Amino acid sequence: MHHTLSILLQNEAGALVRVAGLFAARGYNIDTLNVAPTHDPAVSRLTLSLQCDDAALGQILQQTRKLVDVLQVAHPATALAA
Amino acid sequence: MNAPALKADTTTDRHPLAGHGMSGAEVIVQVLADEGVDVLFGYSGGAILPVYDAVFRHNAMQARADGHGEAMHEAMRLVVPANEQGAGFMAAGYARASGKVGVAIVTSGPGATNMVTPVRDSMADSIPLVVICGQVGTAAIGSDAFQEAPVSNIMGACAKHVFLVTDAAQLEATVRTAFTLARSGRPGPVVVDVPKDVQNTALSFRGAGELALAGYRTRLRAVEQATLGDADCAALFDALMQAKRPLIYAGGGVIAAEAADALRGFVDAFGLPVATTLMGLGGFDSTDPLALHLLGMHGTAYANYAVEDCDFVLALGARFDDRVAGVPEKFAPRAKFIAQVDIDPAEIGKVKRVGWHHVGPLRQALERLTAWGRAHGLQPQLAAWHAHVAELKRAHPMDYDRTSALVQPYAVIEAINRHTRGRAIVSTGVGQHQMWAAQYFDFRAPRHWLTSGSMGTMGFGLPAAIGAQFAQPRKLVIDVDGDASIRMNLGELETVTTYGLPIKVVVLNNVGDGMVRQWQKLYFKGRFAASDKSLHKKDFVLAAQADGFGWARRLQRVDELEPVIAEFLAFDGPAFLEVMIDPDAGVYPMVGPGASYAQMITGDFIASRAAPATDEDATSHMF
Ligand SMILES: Cc1ncc(C[n+]2csc(CCOP(=O)(O)OP(=O)(O)O)c2C)c(N)n1
Ligand SMILES: [Mg+2]
Repeated sequence: MHHTLSILLQNEAGALVRVAGLFAARGYNIDTLNVAPTHDPAVSRLTLSLQCDDAALGQILQQTRKLVDVLQVAHPATALAA
Repeated sequence: MNAPALKADTTTDRHPLAGHGMSGAEVIVQVLADEGVDVLFGYSGGAILPVYDAVFRHNAMQARADGHGEAMHEAMRLVVPANEQGAGFMAAGYARASGKVGVAIVTSGPGATNMVTPVRDSMADSIPLVVICGQVGTAAIGSDAFQEAPVSNIMGACAKHVFLVTDAAQLEATVRTAFTLARSGRPGPVVVDVPKDVQNTALSFRGAGELALAGYRTRLRAVEQATLGDADCAALFDALMQAKRPLIYAGGGVIAAEAADALRGFVDAFGLPVATTLMGLGGFDSTDPLALHLLGMHGTAYANYAVEDCDFVLALGARFDDRVAGVPEKFAPRAKFIAQVDIDPAEIGKVKRVGWHHVGPLRQALERLTAWGRAHGLQPQLAAWHAHVAELKRAHPMDYDRTSALVQPYAVIEAINRHTRGRAIVSTGVGQHQMWAAQYFDFRAPRHWLTSGSMGTMGFGLPAAIGAQFAQPRKLVIDVDGDASIRMNLGELETVTTYGLPIKVVVLNNVGDGMVRQWQKLYFKGRFAASDKSLHKKDFVLAAQADGFGWARRLQRVDELEPVIAEFLAFDGPAFLEVMIDPDAGVYPMVGPGASYAQMITGDFIASRAAPATDEDATSHMF
């Protein structure tokens, strides 16, 4: 299934690499990735789309939430949104 | 880097040094002192020289303040390994044996990359470390400077978190925050990469304040404050009271959460037998009648049969990894109900779907469940199950060839165990000797068993023992090592004698990579590619003597075993014992890759419940 995640990220050195690296290390292929500023200059919004089943999605949401620079991970399409 | 907001200073007491001018390096050392760090493991080099100098001056000043001669007493002892990997495993051994954060300090480039293995190892086993790396100056970053390595990228992929401090004003809060991150939630290693110019920047010490990390702290608070409501407790006990054969599957989380006493209390109240993972050994007294000892690939036959037979599993700080649940669908096949408690939400249902779970601190969860069950007068009737478990232990005990003319490795561990009785700290390398130690030692309390569980890193044992001895100076510390594993960090033998540590090193020498040979026998028709070391020339006893071991011996005969072990353990100082063991000794039981516990091979000396079916699907890809 196709999923879109919205991630609020602290603008720290290497933060984007850590998000991308997590997806790569756990074997999830990112289809599209967009990084945009927010009203807070210390925070960026990542919009990321990928293909995976629901079990994998739950796991990737939980693993992404373990990244220290991640402020929030939302999956607007499902109730799994945090 | 944008300036993150500082967390409000909640302490009313001002730090006595607040407002003092300090260099970045001095700030780092002062924060370490404030965190109670009394020993550092590390190796110096160009990009970290200011920090090492600040440690030297800190110790000299403390010694003067305490009225000692300068060489007498060091407030923050610096332990120098042969290789930075050694420093990392020393810090990890210190952390595992004490429960405190282990600290390592290394230089940029090769110093930092030598630290990658212990950082990843500590991440995989949830061990709290703070690693401070020197980095080339901020202006040189990205220029392929001398001894530059992309530490933030490399470590970011294997640490719990990594900070690259490019703004000196953030240094103090960052180092303090690293400790909070390392020890909170699911513990892990945190790397702080500090460019040399940041170490040399003139700063004003604040004495308090951490980085905001709003996302992490919000999630941490939610997990730490999670409690079990009445409905949660009722749901778990409903299932437990219906179960006839309930079992606890206890992992390393019991130790990380300091929950062993709470587990004891829960078992005393409700009588569930306990099987323990490799990381959980010591979380429950293995000499207890309800202890099933190790489960999994090389678990005891009785633990694995109990898992086959149980109808209820309570997983505590355990993650159904592939050494336990190699085939998740076949793990605990008769369990009607699986419950899981973990501090990490990502572990719930990651491998095995569970019917009940709680994400929160394990000690509080167990205390709450015990109190709730007792208050409701719940008492599972488990006499038949207890009898069944006792019969499994009686019928399928660990055993080996007791009549062999060759020294059996199991007998060596048993002989040591007769002296130590679960009270010594034991570290290991990785391989057969590691599994024999796990199987044949008694484990009576947490933080006595130090092994590289998830990464399975050869070379862990010796430096981990060194770190543990610094954490527990009065404890007997024994490194049970393999001839191949110990070679990986053999340089640290000298570290043992340099610091006068009374560590006992025993090498079970089977002339090669025994565990690799065991798999080659099983799955590669006995072709021992690269695992035989019979042409190797090293004389381990001479090597130990050369490094200053006052007691170093080789044991070859069965009749020497008892007296030599007694002398070895009684020696007052560093001692080294090489035991030439039966090179064909195997690790049994064994649940092969792709097999279920029912298909476990038990070898010639452990009674099997049924003739194990040979598994056509068995492959070696999981080694
Ligand atoms: C750093 C590292 N390299 C390779 C391996 C793969 N490996 C696992 S066990 C083993 C053999 C270990 O030999 P030894 O230390 O002598 O222990 P034994 O099995 O003989 O008791 C090897 C090579 C590993 N676990 N770690
Ligand atoms: Mg060996």
